[in-house]
Amino acid sequence: MIPMDPSGPILSAIDIRKSFGDVEVLKGISLDAKKHDVISILGASGSGKSTFLRCLNFLETPTSGKVIIHGDEINVQNGQPKMSVPIEDIRKRLGMVFQQFNLWTHRTVLENVMEGLIHVRKKSRGEARSIAENYIERVGLSQRVDAYPGHLSGGQQQRVAIARALAMEPDAILFDEPTSALDPELVGEVLKVMQSLAEEGRTMIVVTHEMAFAREVSSEVVFLHQGKVLEKGTPDEMFATPKSEEFKRFIASM
Amino acid sequence: MNPIEIMVSYWPRMLDGTLMTLKLTILGALIAGAISPWLALVRSHGSLIAQTPIRIYVSFVRGTPILAQLFLVFYGSGQFRPELMELGLWNFFRDPFNCAILVFVLNSTAYQTEIMRGGIQGVNLGEIEAAKAIGMTRMTILRRVIFPHAYRIAWPALSNEIILLMKASALASVVTVFDIMGRTRQIFSKTFDFSIYLWAALIYLAITSLFVFGWHRIERRLNRHILPRNNANAVS
Ligand SMILES: Nc1ncnc2c1ncn2[C@@H]1O[C@H](COP(=O)(O)OP(=O)(O)OP(=O)(O)O)[C@@H](O)[C@H]1O
Ligand SMILES: [Mg+2]
Repeated sequence: MIPMDPSGPILSAIDIRKSFGDVEVLKGISLDAKKHDVISILGASGSGKSTFLRCLNFLETPTSGKVIIHGDEINVQNGQPKMSVPIEDIRKRLGMVFQQFNLWTHRTVLENVMEGLIHVRKKSRGEARSIAENYIERVGLSQRVDAYPGHLSGGQQQRVAIARALAMEPDAILFDEPTSALDPELVGEVLKVMQSLAEEGRTMIVVTHEMAFAREVSSEVVFLHQGKVLEKGTPDEMFATPKSEEFKRFIASM
Repeated sequence: MNPIEIMVSYWPRMLDGTLMTLKLTILGALIAGAISPWLALVRSHGSLIAQTPIRIYVSFVRGTPILAQLFLVFYGSGQFRPELMELGLWNFFRDPFNCAILVFVLNSTAYQTEIMRGGIQGVNLGEIEAAKAIGMTRMTILRRVIFPHAYRIAWPALSNEIILLMKASALASVVTVFDIMGRTRQIFSKTFDFSIYLWAALIYLAITSLFVFGWHRIERRLNRHILPRNNANAVS
C-alpha cells in the first residue's frame, strides 16, 4: 500500500497499452480519477474505449502499463500482471455497468443485487437484503424486486445493473455505453439515475455516445482516437474550443 | 398360468429386480454426475494437453458397444486376477455388480461430459464477466453462475441420458446381475411363459414415465425465469 493522499486520485491508469495479436489497440493511455470525478470517454467506434475501460478492472489484461486503485498497484509488463493483492480485491472496489446489462437471468432483481454482497462481501442474508432493497429503491424499482430480468424492460434492467454495482459501495463505477442498447424512449430513465449519482459525488468513468451527458454531467471529457488520448479537458473548454480536427469532426457527426 | 397369476407368484423377484435396476441406474448416474461437470470444464476451458485424454476416452466410449465394454471389464478382470489381487482390487472386480457399475459410470460419464460441455459453452459470457467484475473468485463464478446456467441448458439432454442408462442397465443381466431383465429371464426359463417379458416392459415403462414426469417438473421450476410472466408466479 502506498499512503493515500486524500486529494490524490483514487484510480490511476498509467501508460496502458494493449495489443490483440499484432494490432496495437491502446497506444499508451493514462488517466487519473479523483474522488467525485465524472469522466466521459468519447471516441469513434473502434477507437479503444471499451478495451481501455476493461483494462481498468482487468477483464482485459493490458499488454503493459500500470493501474493503481486506492493505493494498490498492478504493474503489467509483457502481458504479465504483478499485483500485491488478488485481482478480486481490486475488482470489488470498481463497479461496472455493461452495455448489455449482463444481469444474472436466473436470479430475481433482489437476488441480483444481493449476490455480490453475500458471495463477495460475505454479508449475512439479512444485511444483504436490506442493503439491496435500499439501492433498488434508489433506482426506483421497489415494485419489481421479485421479477426476473427477462420480465423487465431494458431501461429497468440497466437500473438494476446500476443498483447491483452501487450496492458493493465501490470506489468508482465504470460504465460502458450504458444506454446504447436501449430503445430511445428508455434512455432518459437511465441517464437520470446516472446524473443523480454524479450529483451525489460518486466517482464515475463513463464511455458514452450521449453528448448531452458528457457536456452537462461530466467534470472531464477524454477523447480517444485510434488508441490514443487526442484531447482532454473540462466539457466547457472541450466543446467550445475543440483543438483537433478529429474531435471537431466527431462532435459534428453526433 | 395367465399373466396375472405369473405376477402374483413371482412379484417378489420382480420387485427385487426393479430395485436392482434402480440401484444400477441411480448410482451410475449420480457418480457420473459428480465427475462429468469437472471433465466438461476441462473440455471447454482446459489446455489442449488436458483435453486430449478426455477426448480419447469419450470417443472410445461412444464408439464401442456398451456390451463389449461390459465383457471387457468382467472377463478382462478375471484374466488379470493375480495382478488385481496384488493391487488389492480383486475384491472389487470379483463382484459382477461392481463391474457393471464401473462400466455404467464410465459410460454415462462420457456422455454426461459431452452434454455438460455444451451447457457450459452455452452460458452467456456477459453474465460471467459481470460476476468477474463484481469480484467473485473463479470457484464462486462456477458455483453461482456457470453451473446453474449449464445445468439448465443441459437438463433435457441429461434426462435422455439417464433413460438410456436405465435401459442399458438391462445388459448387466448377462454378467449375472439380477436386475429386472435378469429376474425376467430367470422366471422365463422356469415357466416358459413369455408374458413375464410384457411385465418387464411395463415396469421399465412405468419407471421411465415417472422419471420423465418428475424431471419435467424440476425443469419447469428451473426455468421460471424464462416462462411467460403469469406462469412464472404460478409455479411454486
Ligand atoms: N477480443 C478482441 N480480439 C481482437 N480484437 C479486439 C478484441 N476486442 C476489441 N478488439 C479490437 O480493438 C479495437 C478497439 O475495440 P473497442 O471495443 O475497444 O472499441 P470501442 O471504442 O469500444 O468501439 P465501440 O464504440 O464500437 O464500442 C477494435 O478494432 C476491435 O476490433
Ligand atoms: Mg465499446
